[in-house]
Amino acid sequence: MNRLHPRSAVLRVARAALQGGFFGFFGGSLGTGMFGLPAFAVPLLGLLGALTFSGYALARYLRFRYELDGDTLTVESGVFARQSRQIPLGRVQNLDVEQNILNRLLGLAIVRFETAGGSATEATLDAVDEAEVKRLRNYVRTHDRDEAAETQTATADAVSETATSGHPAHADRPGVTGPTPTHTGDAQTPGDFGDSASTPDTVERDQPDGSLLFAFDQRELLTYALVSVRPAAPVLTLASLPLGMDIVWSVLRFNAGLVGASLGGPVIRWLLGSPETTRLVVFAALSVVQFLLLALVVSVALTVIEYYGFQLTQADGDLRYERGLLRRYSGNIPLEKVQTVTIRENVLMRQFGYATLAVETAGYSGGSQQSTQGVAVPLAPREEVYELARDIEPFGDLDFDRSPKRARRRYLARFSLAAAGLTTVAYALDSLVLETGYWWLVALLFLTVVPAAHLRWRHRGYDLSEDVLATRSGFWRRTTRIVPYYRLQTVFVTRSPFQRRRDLATVGADTASSSSLLGGVARVYDIDEDTATELRDALRERLTAHVSGLRTNDRAGDADA
Amino acid sequence: MESLHPRVRLLWVLSTIIQASVLGVIAYLVDRFAVSLPQWAIVVGWVVLVFLGVAHAIAAHRIWRFDLQDDALFLLRGVVTRTDTSVPYVRVQHVDTTRGPVERAIGLASVVVYTAGTRGADITIPGLRPERATELREQLRDLAKESEATDAV
Repeated sequence: MNRLHPRSAVLRVARAALQGGFFGFFGGSLGTGMFGLPAFAVPLLGLLGALTFSGYALARYLRFRYELDGDTLTVESGVFARQSRQIPLGRVQNLDVEQNILNRLLGLAIVRFETAGGSATEATLDAVDEAEVKRLRNYVRTHDRDEAAETQTATADAVSETATSGHPAHADRPGVTGPTPTHTGDAQTPGDFGDSASTPDTVERDQPDGSLLFAFDQRELLTYALVSVRPAAPVLTLASLPLGMDIVWSVLRFNAGLVGASLGGPVIRWLLGSPETTRLVVFAALSVVQFLLLALVVSVALTVIEYYGFQLTQADGDLRYERGLLRRYSGNIPLEKVQTVTIRENVLMRQFGYATLAVETAGYSGGSQQSTQGVAVPLAPREEVYELARDIEPFGDLDFDRSPKRARRRYLARFSLAAAGLTTVAYALDSLVLETGYWWLVALLFLTVVPAAHLRWRHRGYDLSEDVLATRSGFWRRTTRIVPYYRLQTVFVTRSPFQRRRDLATVGADTASSSSLLGGVARVYDIDEDTATELRDALRERLTAHVSGLRTNDRAGDADA
Repeated sequence: MESLHPRVRLLWVLSTIIQASVLGVIAYLVDRFAVSLPQWAIVVGWVVLVFLGVAHAIAAHRIWRFDLQDDALFLLRGVVTRTDTSVPYVRVQHVDTTRGPVERAIGLASVVVYTAGTRGADITIPGLRPERATELREQLRDLAKESEATDAV
C-alpha cells in the first residue's frame, strides 16, 4: 500500500493547524467576552484548536492508503469510519490530474479516477508527486492496452504464440469498433505489473507521449477566446463581490455625469425622477456598451487562463489533454469509453469555418468541471474537427433531413406569442409605472419573429446513417451530436398538445454520457408523427443489431483464445 | 398492451388530496400567523386542486399502457405531453418492486426499471397488483439476463 506524498501531508497539516488555530482563537476571545474566561485562555484555546485540527489531518493522511495491483485500484481511508474501496481499472472512465499553483511549486498533483457509477469522483488522490502521476497514468493505460492487445490477437487469430494466454480477454469491451490504436511499443509482452513501482522496469515501460493531434499557439488561443465569448455571467459574479456593487454605482454615476445629468444625490434617485428621455437613452446605451466590453475582456481572460498551452495527444487508444495557465489540468480519456461526440459551432465560428469538438464519457457525475468537461478540441477548422471526430467514432458523410415545413409554422406561432406577451408586459409596465410612452419599441420584436422561426427550423435536422444517429440543432450555438447505435440507452417519443395539433413529434435518444450542459439526450425535434415512430423502431432495431454484433465478435474472440 | 389496475386512480387521487391538504394547512398557518387570507379562497383552492387531480387521474389511467415487446419494454403515458418510452432489455441495469404507504393501504405495488442513461434513468410502472409486480420484475430480469450486454456503459 502506498501513502500520498509526504509534502502533501505537510501542506494539509499546516492548513488544518491554521484553521484550528483561528477557530480556537476566535472561540477563546468570544469566551473571554461572554463568560469571563481568563485572558490566557485565548492563546491556549488557539493552540488546542491548532493541535486537534492538525492531529486529525495527520491521522487522515496516515489512514489514507492506495494501491494498484493487478487490475484493481484499492483505496483505504477514514479515521473514525473506515472505508475501503476497490475500483476495477477496466471500469475507469477518465483519469484527471489537477495542479494548482501551490501544488505546482511543491511538484505535486491531484489525481482523480472517474467511473460511471456514483454521484461523485470515485477516488481522489490529493496529492502525489509528478513521477507517481506518470506511473499511475501509464499503469492504467498499459493495463487497458494489454487487454486490448490480447483481444486483438485473439480475434486476429494469428500471432497467438506471442501472447501469454494467462489473461482471459475481458468480455466487456466493444474493442472491435474503436479506431485501431497505433502500436508504438510492441516489443513489450503483456505480463504482470505487480510491483513495477520501484523496479527499474518503470523507465522502460514509460510510454512515449503519443502523437500530437492538436495544440494551440498564442494566436489561435486568442482567436478562440474571442470567438467563444461567453455570456456575461462572470461580470455579474464580479459585481456581486464585496466592493463590486460600489464600483458599479460609481461607474453609473460617472456615466450620468457624462450625459450631463444634474446629480443631486445617488444615481438611482436621478433614474427614478423621470429624467429627459434622450439623456436616459444615451446613458443606457453607454452603460450597455461598457458592460459588453467588460464581459468581452473578462471572458477572453478566463478562456486564456483556462486553455493556455492546450494540447491533445493520442497514445494507444487514449486521448490525453493538457491545459491551464494557473491551474494545470490534464487527463486521459479512453477512446472505447466515449459515449457521444459533439461538434459545436456558434455563429462567429460558422462564419470563419471553425468548430469545437467535445467527447463525452459516462464519467463525471459530480458536474464540478461542467464548464469545460470533455472538450477535446476547443477550436479548429471544421474539416479537421470532422476528421478527428471520425477518428474517434467512425461515421460517413452526414446528410441532414430537416423537419417538415409545418414545424416552421409552429416556431412562428410560438415566437409570435412570446413577442405578444412581452409587448403586453411592456405596455402594462409603461402605462402603470414608467409613463415614457416608448412601450411600442418592444413591439419591434415582431420583426424578428419570421427570421428567427426560419433560422431555428433551418438549423435543426437529423441523419440516420449507417453507424450513428446524428442530430443537429441551434442557431446561435449549433450543436451536432453523433450517437453510435450501440451506445443508445432508451428511446422516447414525446408529443406536446401543440405538436399533436400539427402531427409532429420529438424523438429523444438517451445515452449514458454525463455531460451536464447538454444532458445525455440527442433530440430530433418536430418531425412527422409517422416518421417519428419509424425512427424509434429503427433506432431500437439498430441498437439490438449492433450490440449483438459486438457480442458475437467477442464470443469468437473468446473461443479462439 | 397492458393497462394499469383501475384502483391506481384511487391512489393518484389520494396522493393529490394529501398534497392539497398539506398546502391547505400551510395556507391556514400563513393566514393565522402572517398575512390574513380569505377563508373561502383556501377552501376553493383545495376543491379546485382535488378536482384537477381527479380529472388527471382518470385521463392518466385511460392513457397509461405498457407492453413487454420482443426487444424492449414499451411504455405509453402522459396526459398533456404524450410520451412513449422504449427501454431495450439489453440496457436494463436492475429492476425493483416498491410499495409506498398509500400503495400498501390500497393493495398496489410499482415496478422501477433502471438504466444507465441520463434522462429517464429510472422508469416507474405504478398501479400493479403485488403478484403482477413480482411477476413483471422476474420477467424483466429474465429478459435482461437473456440479452446480456457486452458493456452497459
